Amino acid sequence: MSAVTATVSEDKMGARTKPAAPDEGARLGFRLTLPAQILVLFISAFPLLMQLYISVTDWSPLSGVGWWNAWEMWNSFANYTDLAADTRFWSALQRTAIVMLVCVPAEFLLGLALATLFADDFPGKRIFYSILLMPMMVVPAVAGYMFFMLFQSGGPVNDILSRIVGTPITIAWLSDPNLSLIAVMVADIWQWTPLMFLILLAGLVGVPEDQMKAATLLGANAWQRFVTIVLPKMKTIIIIALAIRVIENFKIFDTLYIMTGGGPGVATETISVYIYKVTTQDLIWGYVAAIALAILIVLSVVAVYAMKHMAKAREVPA
Amino acid sequence: MSAIHLQNLVKKFGDFTALKTMDLEIADGEFMALLGPSGCGKSTTMNMIAGMEEPTSGKILFGERDMAGVPMGRRGVGFVFQNYAIFTHMTVRQNLAYGPRMRGAARAEIDRRVGAIAEMLQLSPLLDRKADRLSVNILQRVAIGRSAIMEPAIFLLDEPLSNVDAAFRAVMRTELKQLQRQFKQTMVYVTHDQLEAMTMADRIAVMDHGVLQQVGTPLEVYNNPANVFVARFIGAPGMNLLKGRPAESDRGLVIDLGPLGVTPPLPDELATALRAVRGDVLYGFRPEQVTLAERGLSMPVSFVERIGARTIVHLGEGESAVKAVFENDVGLSVGQTAVVAPPASSVRVFDAATGFAVRAG
Repeated sequence: MSAVTATVSEDKMGARTKPAAPDEGARLGFRLTLPAQILVLFISAFPLLMQLYISVTDWSPLSGVGWWNAWEMWNSFANYTDLAADTRFWSALQRTAIVMLVCVPAEFLLGLALATLFADDFPGKRIFYSILLMPMMVVPAVAGYMFFMLFQSGGPVNDILSRIVGTPITIAWLSDPNLSLIAVMVADIWQWTPLMFLILLAGLVGVPEDQMKAATLLGANAWQRFVTIVLPKMKTIIIIALAIRVIENFKIFDTLYIMTGGGPGVATETISVYIYKVTTQDLIWGYVAAIALAILIVLSVVAVYAMKHMAKAREVPA
Repeated sequence: MSAIHLQNLVKKFGDFTALKTMDLEIADGEFMALLGPSGCGKSTTMNMIAGMEEPTSGKILFGERDMAGVPMGRRGVGFVFQNYAIFTHMTVRQNLAYGPRMRGAARAEIDRRVGAIAEMLQLSPLLDRKADRLSVNILQRVAIGRSAIMEPAIFLLDEPLSNVDAAFRAVMRTELKQLQRQFKQTMVYVTHDQLEAMTMADRIAVMDHGVLQQVGTPLEVYNNPANVFVARFIGAPGMNLLKGRPAESDRGLVIDLGPLGVTPPLPDELATALRAVRGDVLYGFRPEQVTLAERGLSMPVSFVERIGARTIVHLGEGESAVKAVFENDVGLSVGQTAVVAPPASSVRVFDAATGFAVRAG
């Protein structure tokens, strides 16, 4: 009881003795940074508003009028009704979802396993650590070329498989509609598991060691400690890591485009590839704006969810 | 319930020796304090008892059972960490239930045991609170309850009061002592605070630089320190030690303190023991036992500390500095000369070469 009253009185004291000065300082600071804030607001809001504007028109750069005059081509939400009926869009969205549902969990589980491994010391740890982080530093387009070569029908992947099986294997990874998506996903997992590993390792190292020891002394085995202490303590960082990868993976493009170009046919056409094709080949920018806006809404939901958890984490220090 | 036997225990970390051969017997149900300055090896000893670290050599026995190779989860040891290591993401109830839950106890059984332990520790109204916003004394009770629910034979406490402010420490000391009476387990308590050790422990093991200095009841350690380290470390302020040389006089054996003169004659038994020692000795007496006298050591007052109930008077300087503690106030001020005399029965003598006490009889 005495402790409870003590904290309350402390809070009161804190409130009473809080000087008025910081408030004034904050107001002055706001005024001083106002120009910069307006600029930032403009930079972020302008393209969005422009996009919103174009998305309700049939405007294209070849239409002969400036984008600000796009209202002349007002089509009253036809782009959005078209989008709802666009089967190529929906199958691209579906494909993107499949890639995400395979890649993100795979990257998460691999990253977590590696982080658990690297939380303890073992000989050569620093070298392995550097090697492990390398894929993340490779330019995605370069990674695309690497996997493009690896997955050629006479390439190293088939070579290795041939050695293992014993008979020559010539799988056309990138030109088989059923396999090309797998090849693309392998490349994504290779490139982005290190990021997951890095974030999760930071979280893992932050798990209080004495609480782990306390759990051990209370008879918890390694798996029980992992489930009852490590995972709950890492909850926030896991959500952040997953959110980053969900958002990034949704936009998967460079590696994939270089490996398959979205093909064969539309077999690896994800949403970004589809947008790219509509933009550069069909040149209907009003429609592109509508697609992009739809995706932005989806991703915003993910971001808001993640940020809510981050705010909660900041509220309660571990 | 279990006694603990430490036999020839050694712990090295690379080149650094944290513990040089430790032998200690802790009786069943005893409250033993491991006391010493930081880096003395007390926490290392404790961690080895808990199984967090393996001894480099030597044996740890719980009763008859050799603990070598027994993992910490299977030792039946309750451990209260310095910062309590409460699982902050759980409620008080989940913290208390953790041990039984991990061992697969039935839900009804867990509820019953949590209820019982919460009742005993007065945690019942707090069971559904999140553990990250509790005050220290509640955290301490949760930490003890979480271990106690496993009914360990041995309880280890690693400086549980060091994060608590002084005023609260007194409250928690009493609480801890009462808890030990309730649980009746063997308790090992690591601390650098002699007040905690003196007030709570049945016996104290004083350690320094990886060496066990002395084991005894609080009063034994205070009254008859085994060596110079214990004499200086125990007591606040520690024992006064003045360098001198034994000399025969017509009144019996005295100690020649050089410029300070000659001490009053030593008691016969101590004198007999002292005659066997060659070379310099240290003449020791407790500051609290000093009285002002007509005849004794005549020294200038260099500083007076008044702390209410007691007054600490600093006498002399350098090698021959002495502190004297008086009840209430004393009519001495800086610059005056005080004549102090320790009662003959409270005098302790140490061999200056070895540091060991010269014991009568």
